[in-house]
Amino acid sequence: MQIAHLVSHLPLKMRAILVLALGGGSVHAQEISFSENIRPILNAHCLKCHGGVKQAGGVSFIYKDKVLGKSKSGATILTPGSLEKSEIYHRITESDPDDRMPPADQSPTGLKAEEIQLISQWIEEGAKWDEHWAFVPPTRHQAPEVATTGANADWPKQRIDYFVLNALKQKDWAPSEESVPERWLRRVSLDLIGLPPTLAEVDRFVKDLQDTGKAESAYELVVDRLLNSPRFGERWATQWMDQIRYADSRGLGIDERRNIWMYRDWIIDAFNNDLPYDQFTIKQIAGDMLPNPTMEDMIASACNRNTQSSNEGGTDDEEFRVMAVMDRINTTWQAWQGTTFGCVQCHSHPYDPFRHEEYYQFMAYFNNTVDSDMPSDEPTLSVPNNRSDYAQAAEMENAIQELEEEIWKSDNAALVNANLWKPISSLGIEVNNSDTEITVEQKGDYAEFVAPGGIKSQTKYTIEAELPADLDQLTAIKITGFPRDLEAAKKDSEWGFVISDLKFTILRGAEDEREEVAVEITDAVMDEAHPVFDPMESFANNNRGFGAYSRIHYPRQAAFILKEPLKLACGDLLKVEMGHRIFYLGAFPLVTKRGRLDVSGSAEWTELIHDTDRKEKNERLAEWKKALRDIPSTAIPVMMERDEKFARPTHRFGRGNFLQKEEQVQPGIPDLFGSGGEEPRDRLELARWFVSPENPLTARVAVNRLWEQMFGYGLTLTLEDIGSAGEPPTHPALLDDLAVRFQTDMGWSVKKLLKEIALSATYRQTSKVTPETWEADPENRWLARGPRRRLSAETVRDQALAISGLLSDKMYGEPVRPPIPGGVWKPFSSDPWKTAEDEDRYRRAVYVYVKRSIPFPSFAAFDAPSREFCTPRRLSSNTPLQALVTMNDTAFVECAEAFASRIQAVEGEPEDQIRAGYRMTLSEAPHEEDLSTLTALYQAALAEYQADTELVKESAEHSAMTLVAAALLNLDETLTH
Amino acid sequence: MNWNPLEHIQQEQLEQHTRRHFLKNCATGLGSMFLATQGLRSNAFGSGLPVHDASNPLNELPPPMRGKAKHVIYLHMVGAPSQLELFDYKPELVKYDGKDCPSVFLEGKRFAFIQGVPKMLGPQYPFQQYGDSGAWVSDRFPHFQKMVDDVCFIKTLQTDQFNHGPAQLMVHTGSARMGHPSIGSWVTWGMGTENEDLPGYIVLLSGGRPPRAGKALWSSGFLPSVYQGVQCRSQGEPVLNVSNPEGVSRSLRRKTLDAMAKMNAKAYQEFGDPETMTRIAQYEMAFRMQMAAPDAMDLSKEPESVRDLYGAEPGKESFANNCILARRLVERGVRYIQLFDWGWDSHGAGQDEALNGGFKSKCNQVDQAMSGLLQDLKSRGLLDETLVVWSGEFGRTSMRENRGGGEMRFVGRDHNPNAFTGWMAGGGVKPGISYGQTDEMGYLAAENPVHLRDLHATMLRMMGFDPKKLSYPFQGLDQRLIGVKPARVIEDIIA
Repeated sequence: MQIAHLVSHLPLKMRAILVLALGGGSVHAQEISFSENIRPILNAHCLKCHGGVKQAGGVSFIYKDKVLGKSKSGATILTPGSLEKSEIYHRITESDPDDRMPPADQSPTGLKAEEIQLISQWIEEGAKWDEHWAFVPPTRHQAPEVATTGANADWPKQRIDYFVLNALKQKDWAPSEESVPERWLRRVSLDLIGLPPTLAEVDRFVKDLQDTGKAESAYELVVDRLLNSPRFGERWATQWMDQIRYADSRGLGIDERRNIWMYRDWIIDAFNNDLPYDQFTIKQIAGDMLPNPTMEDMIASACNRNTQSSNEGGTDDEEFRVMAVMDRINTTWQAWQGTTFGCVQCHSHPYDPFRHEEYYQFMAYFNNTVDSDMPSDEPTLSVPNNRSDYAQAAEMENAIQELEEEIWKSDNAALVNANLWKPISSLGIEVNNSDTEITVEQKGDYAEFVAPGGIKSQTKYTIEAELPADLDQLTAIKITGFPRDLEAAKKDSEWGFVISDLKFTILRGAEDEREEVAVEITDAVMDEAHPVFDPMESFANNNRGFGAYSRIHYPRQAAFILKEPLKLACGDLLKVEMGHRIFYLGAFPLVTKRGRLDVSGSAEWTELIHDTDRKEKNERLAEWKKALRDIPSTAIPVMMERDEKFARPTHRFGRGNFLQKEEQVQPGIPDLFGSGGEEPRDRLELARWFVSPENPLTARVAVNRLWEQMFGYGLTLTLEDIGSAGEPPTHPALLDDLAVRFQTDMGWSVKKLLKEIALSATYRQTSKVTPETWEADPENRWLARGPRRRLSAETVRDQALAISGLLSDKMYGEPVRPPIPGGVWKPFSSDPWKTAEDEDRYRRAVYVYVKRSIPFPSFAAFDAPSREFCTPRRLSSNTPLQALVTMNDTAFVECAEAFASRIQAVEGEPEDQIRAGYRMTLSEAPHEEDLSTLTALYQAALAEYQADTELVKESAEHSAMTLVAAALLNLDETLTH
Repeated sequence: MNWNPLEHIQQEQLEQHTRRHFLKNCATGLGSMFLATQGLRSNAFGSGLPVHDASNPLNELPPPMRGKAKHVIYLHMVGAPSQLELFDYKPELVKYDGKDCPSVFLEGKRFAFIQGVPKMLGPQYPFQQYGDSGAWVSDRFPHFQKMVDDVCFIKTLQTDQFNHGPAQLMVHTGSARMGHPSIGSWVTWGMGTENEDLPGYIVLLSGGRPPRAGKALWSSGFLPSVYQGVQCRSQGEPVLNVSNPEGVSRSLRRKTLDAMAKMNAKAYQEFGDPETMTRIAQYEMAFRMQMAAPDAMDLSKEPESVRDLYGAEPGKESFANNCILARRLVERGVRYIQLFDWGWDSHGAGQDEALNGGFKSKCNQVDQAMSGLLQDLKSRGLLDETLVVWSGEFGRTSMRENRGGGEMRFVGRDHNPNAFTGWMAGGGVKPGISYGQTDEMGYLAAENPVHLRDLHATMLRMMGFDPKKLSYPFQGLDQRLIGVKPARVIEDIIA
């Protein structure tokens, strides 16, 4: 304190020198790097108050322009080259503890002398600003030369090994010896296909190795076989499903079944076909917007429909639509960019330079899809159950869309042609109940009916309208429905309306002797080309029809066209009866709350519906639609852009609250990625930008995740946060080199990347660890040994099924329901769990029904996420509940029993059988000691079963062997690789 | 039972050895290793996070501050019971019964089911004051009337959500969306549990249906999965997979575990992975749990006098049974016990849930049981260290519901997130008081509103945590139960 007090009275230059002397530090020999030297100090000590969230005194150290600007008090925060003119310098060297930064209560340790020195030197050197490494595109690196000479010079087998060895050498460490071949085989099989090798595969590999000269190719042969196995896609789909929060249910209040499994199958195929990661990205983010999308492209777009939806009675569709859109944004950033963007919805990012409004600019790319939390997941696409029908169905689907568009264009020209319409300026309206109030408002030359208050469900209106005096015939009637408040609704949509039981009649003659003349409508034209419901359904005996379903934010209209012109007599009235059957979510009557009528006597309408060309087109359309319907299909939710004229404007939400809409924003990517250039204009261009060379994150994040799947930890540990809040990578050059090669040399091929890893010397090391090496690197981040970790929830199950011979290799299809412990399956709404009795009982885990509110118990016990949100990486726990699963759960008991039979089928004495069983489990022959332990267990159990036959199911021998099988399936080594 | 004491001793020795080994290593490698698996590292975010024994993520830890509550029993009445028929007496509302709702109550409000201008609805049951504290209770809770001097009422609980699923999540995770840790997870993460032979966080359901949000209500969210709630049952298997498979006796299981332990210990020798030793310990814990859990859940061990106190009938799935189990679990050192009782959603859309229908039987089902629980805990000296909390997920409107725009056949109320009543007892809460006041209609909080965040902050404080500091780094934020919006500890209700 004394010294600090003294310091502030010294001239500036001397201060710096004194600080140096006090701290015992020396001037940093090289030029200071902001990213390496300064940002970590700011992150640790300053950003809590001067970050993106809190900008105390108007000071933030995240944005360059703010650092070079002025604080609220008017002081210049930082002047490059001048300590004197930099408030930051004065404040960190201030003697008065009340004014010194950082304050003691925020940063108990305060800044160290060398940290102050670094900041000072950095300012004096001109305060050069560079972005965090992860936001600068990666570059190719030279394989380190140091790894090619001296000890272990012949160790590297793949390019990555040079980087790993180089890092080890710098620490004066050496790599471990190579793993026993069988252990590598088991490890690589579990990693690449999620299943252990069969005995035959072990034997073949061992034989190949023994054939002289074939050793290296034996390894390659194995990896190629695994990469080409259909099991490969099943294993790698799972980790991607964690990212995309795939589930077979809708989540939230009711969590009913959702049909989206075809998207799961698409992922499996994508990995099996080694779909390049750039294509993989584009198709999932914007497959629906590709020109002439294939069926697969459309299915891929279901990726973004894995959001939760809420169909609980009384929930606001718009609230949950917005929630889903935000979840899409957060998931996209998390899965593809390794960046937590979710926090930016409420405020600027606390550590990275993302500003609050940039969240909403990004949201604008996603805010304009048709889906809006509707109960049946609309919009959906009918996907043929048989893949051989895909191409034809997609072609028909595209052709239908085009033709609909074509017909609609000319129809719509008539609909919007004001010359064809005459307004109804006088009308009377009646309601079929006393709870709904209705009034008529005169507006200039037309009349509007308005229901200003509460509305009863199922309300029916009966309107009697005076027809314009100069109308001598009737050819079409137009109904327009409005939001109650036009301006407000653009920002905050209102509940919409759907008209059912629609009927038009002409009332003719004097009031007491009225004659009713039927009006026959044969066609309708709506204001959009592909409406959710066909407006003609308003006349059908169902609850569909013309309207705004389920929300309205622009006026919506439809023209109903008479079969033939109807001659009008003087004094004729038009009677319109309209019902509203939909009582949405048991809470919201979708009743027209404001509307008007127009009529037309123009012959153009009659000509339109009798036009032979249009007729022919409509017939063709109907034919195609029927043909498409005849293909057995399953409807799955997909992405679909809204018609441009109904586009939703996007606003910034104050503190992330969707009810608090601030200024309107346009689509854009964060400035950090370069402003001023051409920004993506829509979702498809955005998807392409993600995989363009300009994007610094996509390849790094992908490579890091694949690395994590193989080694247990990413090159940067924090898969969820690669930015400033994340951990710096252990091998930055390797990460960048791999990222660049993945994008270029490897052509975004996941298989090529995995092959290089699987064959690397790094991956082939033994996982043995000594107390010393453990202490030095408990997590094995520096890779001085091979990976060893507990198997994933799915692999724990799949492996047990495989070893016991029960595993079904049937691929694809509806989710399956294997045995589940009693009392678990209590869904909120009807969704029976019919336990499979056929081979579906033993399918791979990837096919098991994922219900968000009832996670499959054995998966949940082994840390599988319940898929509400993107899970960038799983944590691995070790609990007694896991032991109860693998010892007692029906699935595992069945495995142990089946495995016992397999073991008993081996010829020889029990000891020989057990030896074989051990090899089936762990690919290696057992140590004699283990063999005698297991044999002793068998003998002891056999004696007990023979003494107590009530416990025996098949035979005492089988029961005893079942215990041995269970022990094998539960060994630490079995659950680990 | 074929139990070999010699083997047992050997096993214990092995465990002792293991634990010593862990502790020795904890300071250097293992401690940081477990931190890593928890996703926690010493970076810009965290300090003062609970650090568990590497071999045992549930070992008991002292909370960072003094707190009286060592256990929590949370009684959640799923569906949201009407405060206006139970605890929040509003004579003024009687006068308004049947009149149009004043517009001031409707402006800017969103409802789940109410349409247009509804009618006000007076209290449906008579109220009286009870005890020295003079607390108002309706005639629906004749047993609970006697307990009011042990209870602290909060009349002004508030939430952000007016639909069940999100609101239930708010109550237990502080967030309206799935994926966040529940209170019980935070607490068992923060202080472990006292009995390693039972899960530290146990969930019990009654009322015939689970709550809507399902297991997300006892999820560990982004905390390690070992801290998630474990659902136990008073019927069937008390804990999933706790029974040995058919044909496997306890002695055969013992033999199997011994063989595995031997082989695993050898694997540890060869590979040196400490997780291997942890696994041996976890299998042993599971073995003990197979005895401890059925024992804890066996109501036949309770004398008839105790069962009568709660009005419990063994063998049924009932709230009364779950209340006895809650006490048994507290006695055994379980940290957090969560009860859900379904059936309180009194809209008046059907007789089974209407205020003039099913509501009456729901009251009968819980009145004696929750009163018995308080009495029983008190007489055993457990109430001082056990915090009992009672609430729904929101309250109910002072207006009568008019779903679909017309008068409904039965009497009911819509959801009201603005004010509802909860109560707390024991664990260091001030007994015999009432905190907060609603307006004359019982619709809005007029004085001392208590948002669920405040309730959470207060509960954590009573357990010995600083609610602002109990945090976990996830998605770029120090995530907390109380979230980022202001939350205060209600000091006035802490003794």
